[in-house]
Amino acid sequence: MSKLMSWVDARFPLSKFIKEDLTDYPTPRNLSYWWNFGFLAGFVLVLQIISGIFLAMHYKADASLAFDSVEHIMREVNYGWLIRYVHSTGASAFFAVIFIHMARTLYYGSYRAPRELMWWTGQGLLLLLMATAFMGYLLPWGQMSYWGAQVITNLFRATPFIGDEVVVWLRGGFSIGDATLTRFFALHYLFPFLIVAVVLIHLVALHSVKSSNPSGINLAEKDNIPFHPYFTAKDFYGLGVFLIIFCYFVFFMPQFFIEADNNIPANPLKTPTHIVPEWYFLPFYAILRSIPDLLGGVIAMGLSVMIFAAMPFLDRSSIPGGARYRPFYRVLFYVFVIDVIVLGYVGAKPPTGVLVVVGQVSTFIYFGLFALLPFLSIKEDKWLRKRGLPAEVDVLIKSESEEIEKKAKKNT
Amino acid sequence: MRYILTSLLFSGLLCFPLANAWASSDAPLADIDFDRSSESIKRGAYAAKNTCMICHNLKYIKYLNLLEIDFTQSEVDTFRGKAAFDSPIKSSTSPEVAQKLFGMVPPDLSLMAKARRGGARYIYTLLTSYQVNNEGVVENHLFPGIKMPDPLTYAYRTDEARQKELKQTIQDVAVFLEWAADPRAGERRHLGMYVIGYLIVLTFLFYLLKRKIWSRLD
Ligand code: HEC
Repeated sequence: MSKLMSWVDARFPLSKFIKEDLTDYPTPRNLSYWWNFGFLAGFVLVLQIISGIFLAMHYKADASLAFDSVEHIMREVNYGWLIRYVHSTGASAFFAVIFIHMARTLYYGSYRAPRELMWWTGQGLLLLLMATAFMGYLLPWGQMSYWGAQVITNLFRATPFIGDEVVVWLRGGFSIGDATLTRFFALHYLFPFLIVAVVLIHLVALHSVKSSNPSGINLAEKDNIPFHPYFTAKDFYGLGVFLIIFCYFVFFMPQFFIEADNNIPANPLKTPTHIVPEWYFLPFYAILRSIPDLLGGVIAMGLSVMIFAAMPFLDRSSIPGGARYRPFYRVLFYVFVIDVIVLGYVGAKPPTGVLVVVGQVSTFIYFGLFALLPFLSIKEDKWLRKRGLPAEVDVLIKSESEEIEKKAKKNT
Repeated sequence: MRYILTSLLFSGLLCFPLANAWASSDAPLADIDFDRSSESIKRGAYAAKNTCMICHNLKYIKYLNLLEIDFTQSEVDTFRGKAAFDSPIKSSTSPEVAQKLFGMVPPDLSLMAKARRGGARYIYTLLTSYQVNNEGVVENHLFPGIKMPDPLTYAYRTDEARQKELKQTIQDVAVFLEWAADPRAGERRHLGMYVIGYLIVLTFLFYLLKRKIWSRLD
């Protein structure tokens, strides 16, 4: 065995990789359970790819067969119902995990230097995930699949000058049809592998800058512990908790995330009374609808997703530790979370009466918070510096930087 | 504060699907406790075959599937008449005739319990919502203007005992259609108990392992 290893090592840095990036990979010991969600996202990605490949073995990407083939999977394929419900619940789980992962990054300021590239690759992953989920949702060819795709592709009509052409080009026809289904299937199969590639980049970046931690201060060697066995054990425990919740939905409430209307085969002649996107798109959908003008709405929706990328520029504070030591930023964070939940609620309801106003106000708050951040973070920075940082932060910064300096001296 | 954040986040995430579910809870559905025993499902199969399948298809259920709800082979044979053992349960009215009679082809019933919010409760409520109005016309107050004529003549069963009997039949049909929409539900819940039980034990062991490993740091 060791002989084989050294043969490989002479040609490929396998042992080095295992040691530096898996077993001995230095990880801050103070990571909380909020840091489990990156691993969970990776797990769900693998789960989706595996269940998806098995579904593809039985699924028929043909407008006249797709709906029946899903029912065939549900009723006749051995454990087909399990594979399908894992996949359909997995989509929701993926977004839940990613939203928490993003909320953690926002709360603890993990997007700040030197982790901007992690945040931006993450932003790319979010876009790929949204695209994959959107295309996957068409495949069962139910009423909501069909009309959801119809409404969303229709948004591209807002493209200046060539709007109509763009829509036809996307759909492969004047409306959603067989051509749309087959191309969405092809891309839905492709995109997860693009996600895998971007995840690898995300991880290479991570292993270069290392994990952030709740204090937001770069920790000296003494406060880092090897990834294995400490975080492997912690990640597996977290995975267990996740799987209990996940399996509860898969086995006992599998229809929870599936719209009733999607159990009706797509019917191009009959518009459902109320078209709603999947829950994970609702806040963005609410923003889209809050703007009376189509082009304006589309821009606002696109911006609401993309604006996260601007966070490293918008946050001008030099105080470490994200919201933990920053009271103003903390308030901003919680207002944001509540605002997104309100938007989600508005997105699920028909746009009538007071909800229209609530949606518009929440949209305003959504962008307002981002706009406020540069000023607020500078103000907060000054205010905190004048008042003096909390004693524990001061002590921590000092002791850690002394430690890091000592090490640097030793090395020279 | 951390706990507030946690609970906010999780309840918030759960909010969206719920909001979706509430989004169009229009008319209230009957609040009944379904009897999901296999006798009830089986009675429902007979009642559905004798009434609903005159107009509706049940295309995802084949006669042979009835074996799964405690039909015996000979019962299936009587049930299917001349139809093949492995053929789907089809309506006895052709689509063309239905189109002429109702102006539409009645929807397939095999997924009906999943395709309407409330599932079996929706079906039950729909069939018990037929009433004779002041002008002597039968109407449905859950689905005004429905093109389906009162299939069990519920509106005319004014005498209490017979109405109760009919309600039982309707609940049987509803739970039968619930089974038809999700025939693997029993198997799913059964397996689910084991899976969740196993995961709880496994997670507890992971928890102990994690504690043991981390205790080295103290
Ligand atoms: C005389 C023919 C006929 C019979 C018998 C019949 N139906 Fe229907 N059913 C229809 C028609 C026609 C529609 C379409 C109604 C509409 O959309 O307006 C329909 C629609 C339905 C719907 C869907 C309502 C909706 O929300 O869209 C359900 C559920 C239903 N039937 C259940 C049953 C059940 C259960 C039985 C047996 C007890 C039954 N039907 C017997 C003709 C029939």
